[in-house]
Amino acid sequence: MQEINNKGAGGIISGVAAVIVDNKAYLSEIDGKIGDGDHGVNMAKGFGRAADRLDPEGTLTEALQVLSDVLMSEIGGSMGPLYGMMFSDMADSLGEAETIDAAKFGAMIRAGLEGVQDIGSAKVGDKTLLDAFTPAVDAFDASIAAGNTFPEALVAMKAAAETGRDSTIDMVAKVGRSSRLGERSRGVLDAGATSCAMILGAFAEDITARLS
Amino acid sequence: MGQPRKRVSKESRSGRAPLRFGDDPLLWASWLYYQEGLTQGEIADELGISRPTVNSYLADARAKGIVNISISEARLRAVTIAQALEAQFGLESCLVVPGEGGPRPLIDRLGAAAAQSLGSHLHSGDTVAITWGRTMLALAEAVSGTEARDLVVVQATGGTTATIPYTPEACATRLAENTGARFVPISAPAIVSSSEAREILLREPVIAEQLAQLDRVTCVLFGISSMRPDATIHTSGFFDSALKNKGYFDNAVGAMMGRFIDAQGAAIPSPLDDRVMGMELDRLRQVPRRILVAGGLDKVPPILAALRGGFVSTLITDATTGEGILRAEGFEPEKIAPKRRAPTPSEPALTRSDHVKKFINRPKDAVDEALTGALAAFPEHIEPIGGSLRAIRARADKRDGKVGVVIGGGAGHEPGFIGFVGRGLADAVVVGNVFASPPPDRILSCTRDADQGAGVLYIYGNYTGDVMNFDMAADMAAAEGIEARTILTTDDIASAGADERAARRGTAGNIFVFKVAGAAAARMLPLDECERLARKANAACYTIGAALEPSSMPDTGRRSFSLGPDDMEFGVGVHGEPGVSRIPLQSADRIVDRIVDRIFDEMRPGEGGKLAVLVNSLGGTPMMELFILNRRLMQRLSARSVDVHTTLLGHYFTSLDMVGASITLMALDEELAGLLDDPCNGFAWMKQGR
Repeated sequence: MQEINNKGAGGIISGVAAVIVDNKAYLSEIDGKIGDGDHGVNMAKGFGRAADRLDPEGTLTEALQVLSDVLMSEIGGSMGPLYGMMFSDMADSLGEAETIDAAKFGAMIRAGLEGVQDIGSAKVGDKTLLDAFTPAVDAFDASIAAGNTFPEALVAMKAAAETGRDSTIDMVAKVGRSSRLGERSRGVLDAGATSCAMILGAFAEDITARLS
Repeated sequence: MGQPRKRVSKESRSGRAPLRFGDDPLLWASWLYYQEGLTQGEIADELGISRPTVNSYLADARAKGIVNISISEARLRAVTIAQALEAQFGLESCLVVPGEGGPRPLIDRLGAAAAQSLGSHLHSGDTVAITWGRTMLALAEAVSGTEARDLVVVQATGGTTATIPYTPEACATRLAENTGARFVPISAPAIVSSSEAREILLREPVIAEQLAQLDRVTCVLFGISSMRPDATIHTSGFFDSALKNKGYFDNAVGAMMGRFIDAQGAAIPSPLDDRVMGMELDRLRQVPRRILVAGGLDKVPPILAALRGGFVSTLITDATTGEGILRAEGFEPEKIAPKRRAPTPSEPALTRSDHVKKFINRPKDAVDEALTGALAAFPEHIEPIGGSLRAIRARADKRDGKVGVVIGGGAGHEPGFIGFVGRGLADAVVVGNVFASPPPDRILSCTRDADQGAGVLYIYGNYTGDVMNFDMAADMAAAEGIEARTILTTDDIASAGADERAARRGTAGNIFVFKVAGAAAARMLPLDECERLARKANAACYTIGAALEPSSMPDTGRRSFSLGPDDMEFGVGVHGEPGVSRIPLQSADRIVDRIVDRIFDEMRPGEGGKLAVLVNSLGGTPMMELFILNRRLMQRLSARSVDVHTTLLGHYFTSLDMVGASITLMALDEELAGLLDDPCNGFAWMKQGR
């Protein structure tokens, strides 16, 4: 089976939220090295609230919209708008689809990526979540184009996100609060890239489980 | 190991595997430190351990005798004598050059030693007086530059026509040249012919102004003359042998600055006193740093007298002279033993507990509970908009056609943001989570509330998150027909270079921008004009912060980063993050100097310029320390002859509980000064109309 039902896939977001909440302390710790140390706290607050409000038996589209609304209107900071936009554009991309196959998933994450690029000013290499997100989306598309299955492409996406996340260690931050630290921002992971890799990883695992 | 430690470049060490000394870390650390000349930080990197651990390894190595430090006999002797002199005469410091110094004349060696140590005695903004004589000239000539800025060098006495190379003029001009200082001469003879002549000269404005500099002296460099027949005092024109013959100076043991003292250091009154143009002895005692540079056996009695008289805070001499002084004071040479320092207690290898105690209930309720308490405390200043704790407006009458001012950002800066709404300040404030921008919805509700038909100004610090959220709100407001314009504050000059001012973050200087914009709006100026003035205010603000301890978030209860016991952060912002650089811990005055030097580099305040000053606690630093910082700040500003129009000092824009402070200087013209003088009524800034 190479597709999942949209209905009932709302639970994927519950799983994503659980991963973020579990990693609250870790994300804050990473953030504390060059930022204000609140990334985990704010992310967990937003994702946790969304998990309480969404219907795991509902569609992924609806769940993404609930998550986006919470992030946009209740969390603030820079992650609120960035992730808020990302999930909102993902929801728009999925729309009323009955099922989600590789093509729809690929279009969905591509839309999410473009949403982040629209609202933010960062590029790949600036030490932001784009350094995990961009290669992950590209890897997914490339894997499908090479004739691989949906689960294989998800594996490629997850691996690329993690490689991208790790690449931020050697980067100097160019945007956001940590950019004021210049060279001192080198040597630590970017918190946004780390949470983004977690989110994509959780997507990959849950969908793979549903596909088998 | 009497050799100075030599630095070994990384290149010369690379290419061979490091010896491990049987994995004995004490030995290995000691080798790298004493033999290879690495710093403790470099050793920490090399061994993959923390710097405090390196420190305790080295202390252990000394305690266990792995490292024996031997110091050359002559140098040890010099240090021993210096310690004894410090203790005996209560000196702040004493530098003794070793007795055997090769072929160089003693005066040159003393001058060179004094010049070298000047770095630790001269501070930016000092007014330095220097006397005359061979040693002073040697000193002045040996100085090569200094890190101190805005120095003034003034002659300690008037001049002389004697045909000596080491006149007061020569010594002072040379010192001024070599330190880049402004030179102030005393345009009068050191000794005039009569007290009447002195009175007349003192009435000359030029001379009176020059002499007035002597009242501002913060550091004096002086020599001392003996009364030996061949001493320079007799040939310098400072002395009147007619008076000597009358027996006035029979009890004199020495002279400094044209004044004579007896063996106990008491001034010897004579008719000369009314004829000397220069610093008086009583004034000399009040100078904070009084550095006597003198050596030679004939100088033992006068130096001893000056020490006894309390004229000296730092003595620079040689071992033979120092020993002579101690003997004359009744010390047995063999009893002068080196003082042993207590062995350094080994530091705990790692940091203390990270957890910080706080007056909170549940962390997630901290911001709302704080806002509830603030609203209850200041009901005459602030009230919620439509029942929201996070969107708050000024309790002031609304006026049709007034430009609305909306400010805001994350919580954690208290009284930041909410304390600056009120009449003559902002109309509404949006509050986010701790250090996180508020979301657009509530920015929009503040915008609607503040709009009186003349448009709205958003003023907030330049941070990515705030920009995204406020921009979204501005779009939503535009859709409703409300024009919202944005002023990003960028006063933190440490956060980016002068060529990228727009990239800088906004910190404590915020509040001056709020004030100017609020005053402009209260004057019913149109949106264009309010915007222009707010931008002008932002461009006039220069802030730098420094932190001694990191802050801790209510949610995690942990310090946001760790800072060693001897380190501090320079160039910190207001979100608990580390600064632009980590530097060794310094005294209050040196921290102010560092901040002020950096600000002056860019701001270049002109003489007679007008400033507003904000000495701001980042949360954990008490008022007492802010006053100490302000004291030094005022010294530096007065050395620049700038006029302080307004001073704010206290908790104005904080970074939770960060131990640290920021200094903001705002350059004022009449327009900005006038707007700052307007009345305002925020709970953190209340000002009556003039």
